[in-house]
Amino acid sequence: MIARRLLGVAVFAAALGVWELWAHAEDSFLFPPVSTVAERAWQVWPTSEFLLNVAGSLKRLAAGYAIGAAVGVAVGLVLGARRGVRLALEPLTEFLRAIPPIAIVPVLVVMLGLGDAMRVAVIAFGVCFPVLVGASQGVRAVSPEARDTAAMLHVGPAELLYRLYLPAALPSIVAGLRVALSIGLVLVVISEFVGSPDGLGYYILSSSRSFNVPEMYGGILFLGLLGYVLNRLFLLAERHVLFWHYGAAGELVR
Amino acid sequence: MKPPNVAGWLVVAVVVGVGEAAVRLFDLHDSVAAPSAAFGALVAGLASGELSGEIGTTLESYAEGLALAVAAGVVLGVVIGSSRVLQDASFVVIEFLRPIPAVALIPLAILFLGLGVPMRRFVIAYAAVWPILINTLYGVRGSDRLLHDVATTSGVSSAGRLVRVALPAALPSIATGIRVSASIALLVGVTAEFLSPGTGGIGSYMHQQQLAFQLPELYGAVVLVGILGYAINVALGAAERHVVFWVGEARTGAR
Repeated sequence: MIARRLLGVAVFAAALGVWELWAHAEDSFLFPPVSTVAERAWQVWPTSEFLLNVAGSLKRLAAGYAIGAAVGVAVGLVLGARRGVRLALEPLTEFLRAIPPIAIVPVLVVMLGLGDAMRVAVIAFGVCFPVLVGASQGVRAVSPEARDTAAMLHVGPAELLYRLYLPAALPSIVAGLRVALSIGLVLVVISEFVGSPDGLGYYILSSSRSFNVPEMYGGILFLGLLGYVLNRLFLLAERHVLFWHYGAAGELVR
Repeated sequence: MKPPNVAGWLVVAVVVGVGEAAVRLFDLHDSVAAPSAAFGALVAGLASGELSGEIGTTLESYAEGLALAVAAGVVLGVVIGSSRVLQDASFVVIEFLRPIPAVALIPLAILFLGLGVPMRRFVIAYAAVWPILINTLYGVRGSDRLLHDVATTSGVSSAGRLVRVALPAALPSIATGIRVSASIALLVGVTAEFLSPGTGGIGSYMHQQQLAFQLPELYGAVVLVGILGYAINVALGAAERHVVFWVGEARTGAR
């Protein structure tokens, strides 16, 4: 196991080495050696200015993700539980879902201006659909036996939702939330490309426009690290919340 | 055939009608385009060839980037997925590169390749390659050992096993990967255009209409992109059912 991990690390180190040597040979300001990128990152990342950019991105992600996830779960549960509502809203949701969120950026800029309301709305828009689909499919997959039993026991709609549909749909809601997290991060960056005063997207774009190339590389790497850490945290939380699901379907444990 | 979804289209009509009435009653023309105006602009744009030209530009780099990603992702995925050593060797590099959102590479790609089509092709291909690569890899790895053993004892060479056993076994996962990639690639492609104003493509067009405050034209373009995205979803779904038709039948004994 350890030997296999070591091989992966060795290849990674070799790739960094190739980058370093190639960049020295090329000697182009567009392609700085990895050592220069690391050096600049070491200087820049701890500064309060950079950390404010990180905080700005995280703040927008948190707000947009929370709103999008809440809307997605609420609407998705209703769509899953009520066939009539699902059919009635299907053309509309299918169309909205197919719009790449960048397309609504200019629409929202005109409507809401260049402030964070626009950014949070774009993120929420993109986050909402995978969650909605997950919740809807999760509810639809509830077994007819469970539905019939609940009907026979005269379980009220609120209790039905809370006791049957929500827990049954949870694994598929969580799957939707995980997809939505990476989409959310992408949309944070996109929305910060447009008139933002701070944030990682702003940092990367402004570094490139002022030809601070090592800083730009550093920003991209930081974003990759952030995405990795957020995904790891999500998986940890998922295992905590869905322990019963993984317990039942043992092979799914990763 | 399914019966038409009357209720669904009725809801669409009501939403459009309410939107139209709200824009007219409350005079919201400064912040929203009325549906009738947007529809008019869409039809006019398509008739004059302006919008169809922009969407054609978008589709061209989209198709090229996606095709590159499919080729690279499937080949790499099959090769890596069928070798334990290559999987271990590439693991850290893949896990390092994969979480980097492709949109973050757009400014970098602009520095290297400029604002035109090569830059777009590159970022689209980069964005699209990961889901295809990962899904192919898992599909190959999850393929039945028995099939490989039968092929080996039947004298099929290792290269032949890749093409005749591993690849077909991975096809359902590959199809899933392509479907995921298709929507990410469209998002990244339109974003790249949005960030390179005046160089063609529907994203660049939308940016111009926003700056010029031409709301009906802007909304028309958004509707067109939505229709494009929807058409891509439908086409890929149909292609998937056609190509991996056996999945629905044979899945029962799959694992």
